Amino acid sequence: MIVFKTFWNVVKKYKGTVILYTVLLLVFGFLNMSTKDTQTDFVNSRPDIFIINKDKDGLLTKNLISYLGENSNRKEIKEEEDSINDALFYRDINFVIYIPEDYSKEVMEGSNPEIEIKSTGDYQASLASRMLERYLQIQTIYKKKETDEENLIEAINHNLKTSAKVEIASSLDTTKTTNSSRYFNFASYSIMAVVIFVVCLVMSSFKEKNTKKRIIISSMNYKEHNRKLLLASFVYSSIAWLLFILLGAILLKDILFTTRGLIYMLNAYLFTFCSLTIALLISTLITDKNAVSGIVNVIALGSSFLCGAFVPSEWLPKGVLQIAHALPAYWYINSNDLLKTIEVINRESLKPILINSLVLIIFSVLYIILNNIISKYKQKIG
Amino acid sequence: MKNIVEVKNVTKEYKELKAVDDLSFVVKEGEILGLLGPNGSGKTTTINCILSLLNINKGTIKIFGKIMKPDAYDIKKDIGVVFQEVAVFEELTVYDNLDYFCGLYIKNKKQRKEYIEEAIALVGLENYKKFYPKQLSGGLLRRLNIACGIAHKPKLIFLDEPTVAVDPQSRNNILEGIKTLRDRGATIIYTTHYMEEVELLCDRIIILDKGKVLAEGSADELKELANMDEKITVEVDHIKETVIEKIKYFKNVHEVSLERNTLIVTYKKGKNNLSELIDLLKENKVTYSKIFSERPTLNDVFLNLTGKELRD
Ligand SMILES: Nc1ncnc2c1ncn2[C@@H]1O[C@H](COP(=O)(O)OP(=O)(O)OP(=O)(O)O)[C@@H](O)[C@H]1O
Ligand SMILES: [Mg+2]
Repeated sequence: MIVFKTFWNVVKKYKGTVILYTVLLLVFGFLNMSTKDTQTDFVNSRPDIFIINKDKDGLLTKNLISYLGENSNRKEIKEEEDSINDALFYRDINFVIYIPEDYSKEVMEGSNPEIEIKSTGDYQASLASRMLERYLQIQTIYKKKETDEENLIEAINHNLKTSAKVEIASSLDTTKTTNSSRYFNFASYSIMAVVIFVVCLVMSSFKEKNTKKRIIISSMNYKEHNRKLLLASFVYSSIAWLLFILLGAILLKDILFTTRGLIYMLNAYLFTFCSLTIALLISTLITDKNAVSGIVNVIALGSSFLCGAFVPSEWLPKGVLQIAHALPAYWYINSNDLLKTIEVINRESLKPILINSLVLIIFSVLYIILNNIISKYKQKIG
Repeated sequence: MKNIVEVKNVTKEYKELKAVDDLSFVVKEGEILGLLGPNGSGKTTTINCILSLLNINKGTIKIFGKIMKPDAYDIKKDIGVVFQEVAVFEELTVYDNLDYFCGLYIKNKKQRKEYIEEAIALVGLENYKKFYPKQLSGGLLRRLNIACGIAHKPKLIFLDEPTVAVDPQSRNNILEGIKTLRDRGATIIYTTHYMEEVELLCDRIIILDKGKVLAEGSADELKELANMDEKITVEVDHIKETVIEKIKYFKNVHEVSLERNTLIVTYKKGKNNLSELIDLLKENKVTYSKIFSERPTLNDVFLNLTGKELRD
């Protein structure tokens, strides 16, 4: 109990830091709320699609492709399943359309050949999907009247033009999700600062050479003492997380009480835990308090800049993002960005988020292992 | 009297250097044992070895009759240590520091509170309970450091140079506190390189040099080893060689030396040495500005045993 109590007494001395970063997050959150109209910057309404066309000569096919081309960005990638899946995973494309051989011919002959699709399940993908559906619906309706291919095409195009461009409604309110994603992205900075900074400082107090000697010669088992310290720092980190979630609940309101909100929170929790493992690693490496604050600033600020906590990651140069892959914050932020546009939450659309979470867990385990190795080594030479 | 600590043939080597060299001694129940030695003589290393903070190369260490090991918690619970360097939490108040360090031993809150209040009273920090270490003067900080080491009422206390760089007021407070602890029944091992302190405080003294015991005994016993009983220093204006020769012929005189204007005469034993010398100087019309007689100090003992001064 005394270890817990003392841990908190020391933490209390650093409450200024906690307040500072909490206020920063609060201010950012408020500013974020008042700049709603810029959300289109972040959610591109033209989906990136990739078309694999096995029906090169069909006139109907050509018309379909040109219609899709007008309303989306056609991307060219390698026609291999692996590269297609990669492109979908990395959101280079949102939607893939497979047009089978003799598509036009079969339609004209009255059968209903299937067009296969692959989708990322996000907002853009749903736009593409609705676009395709609309076209096919019109085609089906007019096919019943027209038997000539060219007449059919004319009729379809006429209808597409005259029928008022139906605004494709999405069930997803991207204003809200954009706000949440930006809030949680920025929170990565606050989480890192509050967890790493405070835990490192508190730990360095307990691990100061002479204090440590005092603990070792006492009648309390040193290992047990340190286990209690670890538990205390774990509880502290969890409370910090809870604080930021509560703040989020105030700012973002109802969105946090949805499945999507739950995933935002879990993602943030994983990141908090990962930050804690970083903090423990640093505190094993460095016990000098003055060095700690410098290093923590570099780590928290640096990783927040590189991984897109402050500005949308789309705005960052590719090279920077490549480097950012080595940092846990990148994977955390990537999940937040995905949550911004996922239309339907299902196994398929959650897959990339699950992978990001796995990476965060792997990072944490890595830091824990590294921490153990280093502290064993330090004990030996000490 | 029981042996509280038994150190037998303990050697601790750092690479080439033998910091502790085949050291053996015992500490008896209820005594204050002084470990006296110049800087680097191995005092701190000896303590760290006894506490199992360092692995020893050779020898055995018993405390309370049991072999001391890093996990001997039943022994550790009755030991208190005040290290040479101040070890407290900057982020905690005087009271909270004590609460933590005492809490490592004493689980019961009510009992702990009593113990802490007692420790605070012992070192005279009653008015500083809510202060942070940064707000304390050097002397007060040392007192806090001591209180943190002894608040849990240990039976055996190690104090490693607790009075280094401390103002006279705090020093007196600390020395009084240590006596009080002894009077309450604690056994104390006290290291220092201030010989006045050991003389004032310690029941028994061990003089260390280069990790070895040079001599052991009470202050009076040790002074026998100084090879003299009295030392008279005279600041003369001028003195002739013939007068010095005459002094040498006094029956108790051990040695006479003159350096610049300082005449030092040491005696093996005897009475009335001072008045004899004054009379002689008067007879020979030697004028002087100062004359005083001293009993030998532990420094003289150390000087005699090693040929060097205890303090540099
Ligand atoms: N970790 C170490 N590595 C190598 N040598 C050491 C180490 N610690 C102490 N020594 C050496 O061991 C010798 C004894 O040191 P120790 O600190 O025990 O002396 P001390 O009597 O406590 O001196 P002081 O009065 O300065 O505190 C010194 O020569 C010192 O340089
Ligand atoms: Mg020392």
